[in-house]
Amino acid sequence: MGKADDVMDICLLAGEIMLKYGAETYRVEETLERMARAASFTNVHCFATTTGIFLSFEEKKEKEDLMQMVRIDDRMQDLNKVTDVNQVSREFVAGDITTEEAHEKLISIAKAPMQYPLWLIHLAAGFAGSGFSYLFGGGWFDLIPAFIAAVVSSVVVVEFERYLKVRFAGEFAAAFCGGTAAILLVYAGLGNNVDQIIIGSLMPLVPGVPLTNAVRDLMSGDLLAGVSRGAEALLTSLSIASGIALTISIFL
Amino acid sequence: MHFIAELLITFAATVGFGIIFNVPKRALIIGGAIGMCTWAVLSAGLYSGMSHVFSTALASLTAAILSHFIAKRIRIPVTALAIPGILPLVPGSRAYFTMLAFVEGNYIEGLEFGVETMLRAGAIAAGLTFALAIFSFGKGIGHRYEPNR
Repeated sequence: MGKADDVMDICLLAGEIMLKYGAETYRVEETLERMARAASFTNVHCFATTTGIFLSFEEKKEKEDLMQMVRIDDRMQDLNKVTDVNQVSREFVAGDITTEEAHEKLISIAKAPMQYPLWLIHLAAGFAGSGFSYLFGGGWFDLIPAFIAAVVSSVVVVEFERYLKVRFAGEFAAAFCGGTAAILLVYAGLGNNVDQIIIGSLMPLVPGVPLTNAVRDLMSGDLLAGVSRGAEALLTSLSIASGIALTISIFL
Repeated sequence: MHFIAELLITFAATVGFGIIFNVPKRALIIGGAIGMCTWAVLSAGLYSGMSHVFSTALASLTAAILSHFIAKRIRIPVTALAIPGILPLVPGSRAYFTMLAFVEGNYIEGLEFGVETMLRAGAIAAGLTFALAIFSFGKGIGHRYEPNR
């Protein structure tokens, strides 16, 4: 009895981490099925959507089958953890590590803090935002206000989601604050092209992970997961758009 | 000179996006290089007179093929490279001008921009899809019949 339970635990833990931090559904299903097969279970079936995973397998004929599910509530973007879990599952399938070692590794991945500190992420958001404001037709002089505005929107989205756990409202508030900061900076005499600066301040909020995963999932036939990812990306974009619409109608 | 500056800025911005999405450290620089290639293909397409949508599709295809290829070599999930790689193509400016036109009441102009935004987003998706189709030859995702049975 013990082994089946242990394998079920590590499979579901691996799946939970991957799905939570932004892996595609097909990758979760494939990884879990491979891990369960590598532990010599038969009749392995896995069904994952964007918000939950079902996994079932049987240990031996004539014995009880195991079937469990986990529900995933939070969806974040941390592709480093997905890569780490991928590595652990690869080692487990190849037989390099035992079930206990895999469990320990997975727990340490789940508990690990983010790979990059928060200030670096804000700084990176600033660089990305100012870079894109230049690429979309801004001038050299617009780099600085776009940097500041992008940092503002990144800080707002992180802090908002930390204290008020409301989905999609974080992006709305961030778009509003970033846009306001951009317009105020232009009024104060920094920068010339207000449009490009606002675009730069919004770029860190782009829902890149759900967008790419939606395409991937739809392609590999996970229609349910693909459509729900696409809906998530669409709602995020709409909340950014409504945030910026509010700014424009108030200030511009 | 202007082009080189654009490439360098694309590199910095793509690496920034890599940090935002928390990609592994060894994939950061590679992701930035893929973003640079994407931007170069997009610019080359526009320079040779192709439409913006088609150039976007070509650039997205390039980014996706490169990331599939490299991801297999260095053993990381494709998304960790593909997401920063396609970000220079995101039609952020069109989306913003769509919003601006709607807020100002220019609905026809807004629809025009909106359609272009959708087409460019679709072009990105088409490039990703096509690269995926190339790299899943033989694995078979989705059939209509079972001719080999």
